[in-house]
Amino acid sequence: MEIKVKCNCGVENCSEWAILELQGVVESQPSIANQIRGLEIGRLCCSSSSSQVNYTFTVGYHELSGTKVSLKKPLLVLKKNKQEEGSVSNNEVDLEVIGIIRHKILFKNRPKAIISRPQVKDKKASD
Amino acid sequence: MATNKGDINDGGAESFLTLGPDNSVTVRYHPDFGPHSDLILLEVPDDSVLNDLLRGRVTIRGQFDEDAVLCTPSSTYAMKFVGTSNSVFLIPPGNPNLSDPQPNPLVSVLKLAPGNVELVLTAPRLDKLRFLLMQRLYKIDEEDEEDCSSEGLYTWHDLICSIQASDEELREGLKFLSAVEINGFWRIVHPKSVNMILTMVLTNSVLHDWSLDALVEEEVLSVLESDGFNTTIVKHCLETFGTKNENDNSKLWGLDKKRIAVHFAKQVLGSNGGKMRLEIFIEKWMRNVQKGTPFDLNMLEGEVLYETIGAETWIKAFSVADLPLTPDARFSVLFKERAKWAWKDLEPYVRDLRVPGISSEGLLIKYTRRVQPNADAEPIFSAR
Repeated sequence: MEIKVKCNCGVENCSEWAILELQGVVESQPSIANQIRGLEIGRLCCSSSSSQVNYTFTVGYHELSGTKVSLKKPLLVLKKNKQEEGSVSNNEVDLEVIGIIRHKILFKNRPKAIISRPQVKDKKASD
Repeated sequence: MATNKGDINDGGAESFLTLGPDNSVTVRYHPDFGPHSDLILLEVPDDSVLNDLLRGRVTIRGQFDEDAVLCTPSSTYAMKFVGTSNSVFLIPPGNPNLSDPQPNPLVSVLKLAPGNVELVLTAPRLDKLRFLLMQRLYKIDEEDEEDCSSEGLYTWHDLICSIQASDEELREGLKFLSAVEINGFWRIVHPKSVNMILTMVLTNSVLHDWSLDALVEEEVLSVLESDGFNTTIVKHCLETFGTKNENDNSKLWGLDKKRIAVHFAKQVLGSNGGKMRLEIFIEKWMRNVQKGTPFDLNMLEGEVLYETIGAETWIKAFSVADLPLTPDARFSVLFKERAKWAWKDLEPYVRDLRVPGISSEGLLIKYTRRVQPNADAEPIFSAR
């Protein structure tokens, strides 16, 4: 069986997707259950200090800090298409390249709990 | 909401990536957020593969009971899914504010990716090719026989769908097996038929006073065709045993005396396992080979093994071309044949092994045990 990997975008025009990556799991309040579509997850801010550009992602009462990373090996976004009835090929599936990811913003430090101001000892939230 | 995912243009990836200092953006779940199990992330190992993918030159090959491989025009990669325990939020391109106007900039995540597929460069899986093509060897008079079915016969397209190798590696594999395309099917010619045609060419060379270094293709083909031999097969014989020199406009072939000598050595010994006393072999071999052909036993490296039985030396057919291509199967067969090997005997039977990422020394370390009593002694290899 042979499945062709199609690409309609070509070398120049591949749409760029992105990734926000964090360690851990984002949970919603039990009352929301699965109705999360359209809901806000958090706020992403950017700041620069000396040579570095830092990102802060605030989710609920947690604050994560991270940086933008260029992927050494880019990721391609592939979509599996089910073949239409009566198509020429006898495969059931084909694959299409619909995007490329070259950068991600990665949060790998432990979240800081924002409890109150002024400064209190960081209560490390459980992972 | 976009119905075709190729057209999703409201994720905000660009705003996300170009977010500058002292700016901020809201990240939310896309209105269409979900598992989207039809979206797969594929890690691309280098620019060459990336180029092939973006130009649509890549295919995935395999049968349902095999692990899929990804093939570029020249290389084969195993596909391995690697999971992650991190939360990887996938953000599509485009501007969410267009379809869903908001006062503040917005980034929407479409899916949480469970991991991605990694590509690992791998040796093409060509042992199956020999197995398939051995099902029906081509014999010279087969067109006369009644069985005209195409069962057990494979076209190029059939092979692509069955063999997990890139086009280039598949072609090399066919060349290695001396396969030839006849009536659209790739065939291995039966050794008896090969011998018959080669002998005809050599006999006719003597009859017509042809020079074996400069056989005129047209002449050879027409003489043998009048004797009833298929021109495709005769041409294949010239390719198997000779090299073309394109001089002026006429196509000339020079036959390789070593290849011919090896062929007749194998004829004398019979197929794998055939053995005889060395003196008898040499006598028979000399009778078969053209006069004036310089030949010596070194030509038979990788084709024969020698055994000492009592006071006599025996020679036995054992061709590297008949052995498995994967290292573990190869070493298994080698150590079944002989428990211990001196390096000089072993080398011709392992020098063709290729595994991406492992050197030949690495293969020896992985699959053999090496014993060397002292610095002057020859190392001996046995099974691990």
